[in-house]
Amino acid sequence: MMRVLDHLEEWLITFLIGAATLLIFTAVVHRYALGFAANWGLDATYDWLFQFNLGWAQELCIYMFVWMAKFGAAYGVRTGIHVGVDVLINNLRESFRAKVVLFGLLAGALFTGTVGTFGAEFVWRMSQTDSISPDLEVPVWIVYLAIPLGSYLMCFRFLQVAWSFWKTGDLPEHEHAHVEGLEEEVEKSQVGGTQEEVLIGEAFELTEEREHIHGGLSEADWEKQHPHAKRDEEGRP
Amino acid sequence: MNAAIIFGLLFGLMLTGMPVSISLGLTVLTFLFTMTQVPIESVALKLFTGIEKFEIMAIPFFIVAGNFLTHGGVARRMIAFASSMVGHWYGGLGLAAVMACALFAAVSGSSPATVVAIGSILLPAMVKQGFPVRFGTGVIASSGALGILIPPSIVMVMYAVSTNSSVGALFIAGIIPGAVLAGMLGFTTWWRARRGNYPRLARVPWGQRLRAFRESVWGLMLIVIVMGGIYTGIFTPTEAAAMSAVYAFLVAVFVYRDMPLSRVPKVLLDSANMSAMLLYIITNAVLFSFLLTYENIPQALAQWLVDTGLGPVGFLAVVNILLLLAGNIMEPTSIILITAPILFPVAMALGIDPIHFGVMITVNMEIGMITPPVGLNLYVASGIARLGMTETTIACLPWLITMLVFLVLITYWPALSLWLPRTLGMLG
Repeated sequence: MMRVLDHLEEWLITFLIGAATLLIFTAVVHRYALGFAANWGLDATYDWLFQFNLGWAQELCIYMFVWMAKFGAAYGVRTGIHVGVDVLINNLRESFRAKVVLFGLLAGALFTGTVGTFGAEFVWRMSQTDSISPDLEVPVWIVYLAIPLGSYLMCFRFLQVAWSFWKTGDLPEHEHAHVEGLEEEVEKSQVGGTQEEVLIGEAFELTEEREHIHGGLSEADWEKQHPHAKRDEEGRP
Repeated sequence: MNAAIIFGLLFGLMLTGMPVSISLGLTVLTFLFTMTQVPIESVALKLFTGIEKFEIMAIPFFIVAGNFLTHGGVARRMIAFASSMVGHWYGGLGLAAVMACALFAAVSGSSPATVVAIGSILLPAMVKQGFPVRFGTGVIASSGALGILIPPSIVMVMYAVSTNSSVGALFIAGIIPGAVLAGMLGFTTWWRARRGNYPRLARVPWGQRLRAFRESVWGLMLIVIVMGGIYTGIFTPTEAAAMSAVYAFLVAVFVYRDMPLSRVPKVLLDSANMSAMLLYIITNAVLFSFLLTYENIPQALAQWLVDTGLGPVGFLAVVNILLLLAGNIMEPTSIILITAPILFPVAMALGIDPIHFGVMITVNMEIGMITPPVGLNLYVASGIARLGMTETTIACLPWLITMLVFLVLITYWPALSLWLPRTLGMLG
């Protein structure tokens, strides 16, 4: 059950951000294709393109991102991406720190719960009116449904994280410096997978280089003659 | 009085370590429920309309674009190009690191990721060549921050959104300062390398440089698409961001083939995660600045500052100090979203140009990345170099001082940031 919810959440926000990107891309291409067809007298193409009115793309994109933002924020609680100022609490005694962290998580649940309730009321009132969005002409309350749904989900996630923190003392932590495919590159840059950390495959050959730099001397001899090159390592400014 | 309560509450909540977005939201709710008669309905409406601006949507698109190009393979190409261009001067790989960081940070959009990508590949090579670890760590940690200033920059979009400035003009305004700062960091590197007599690389023939350039040009074209598109008016900034996202996808998957198609959903999910976090802060910050405006706090502050006769020079100095302090404990997005609505009206009252002000704030955010205790770049750099935090901080000092000098320059010499957008007729 939990698994299904997790996957649904991930799948939804992945789809929304991908689709919004394609949508705006298509709208821009469409706009220029239309101009191009008009300028070059490609009437048939123009007429065909003209059938598609993408004036609503911008609005749909905004709505997609609002939904993505609300559900993504809930997902973010689970991945620990919502950061705060933790300088102070990290210097507290462990037992006290745990209490403060728990307070923070519960405050998050309180806030999102309150917002969710606001949102639910708001959506309810909107659903009594027949206001529709300007371009897409969908009922506004459906668009705003993201707020109560997203906020309640987020509230639930805060409680979930608080519970597991209470049980295990672990918080989800986000890796801010993740770089895709870096391991392979670093490995590639090391000779034959040994511990020798040397760049290869670049525009230079290191061995040759060093001889060139050191004026044909071996590494050890060069260091003997140039002790100052290493001085920063010994702490001199 | 109310201002004191609002900020007291905000800082109190923030110090408990809860997410900044939640602190902002709770401050607003608490204040509204206990202190005033603002109709709750109007607040509820703000909660929904806070992020309904097309300009804000540039942020998720830029994040998608950046994540597609934040790849080890792209980093390698940029390093190869940079070292073939500047590696033969004093500073060798160190100088190449500055250039590679500037290029990679500009397309990747994340400065800690830049430090990791460039650092993990270049730092071992530098140490092997005989550079002190400290020198390498300092160069990479500080140059990694360059991306915030060089467009496209998410921090700049944040500023533009919260002050209603032009994203395009801000981007264009960042070009020259970005290049100047890269030059200054490069100079510091060169100068220290010359004194320490650190190794240099052999001069690379032009043919090889051209090859390295052709390899990395696909990534670099991203900047051209964004800047060219916005400047010529082909795209709005948000459209340019969406185009660059699709472009980055095509480059990563089909041109460089760094990324199998199967990994695309993961990249999108990570981007959605990051964007949702930023959008969530924006929503709550909009709510917060609505409260501030409702209580007339920015206007009162502006009036008070004008009355004290502080003048633009003093005001900018105060702003710099304030932002540098904030940069020590918070991350850029939160700082901009909280401080910009307060400081901006004052700056306007004192006749400071909004674009110049934005560039200055951005430079402050850059410096915040390498100042302890919460400089993200420091953490990341100390991780890859296996140095302690204190040592990493000391390692960054020469470049930190360079950046501070640059900050003074950018603060009191508006033409540095305003000349290009003005010449291109992007300022009204």
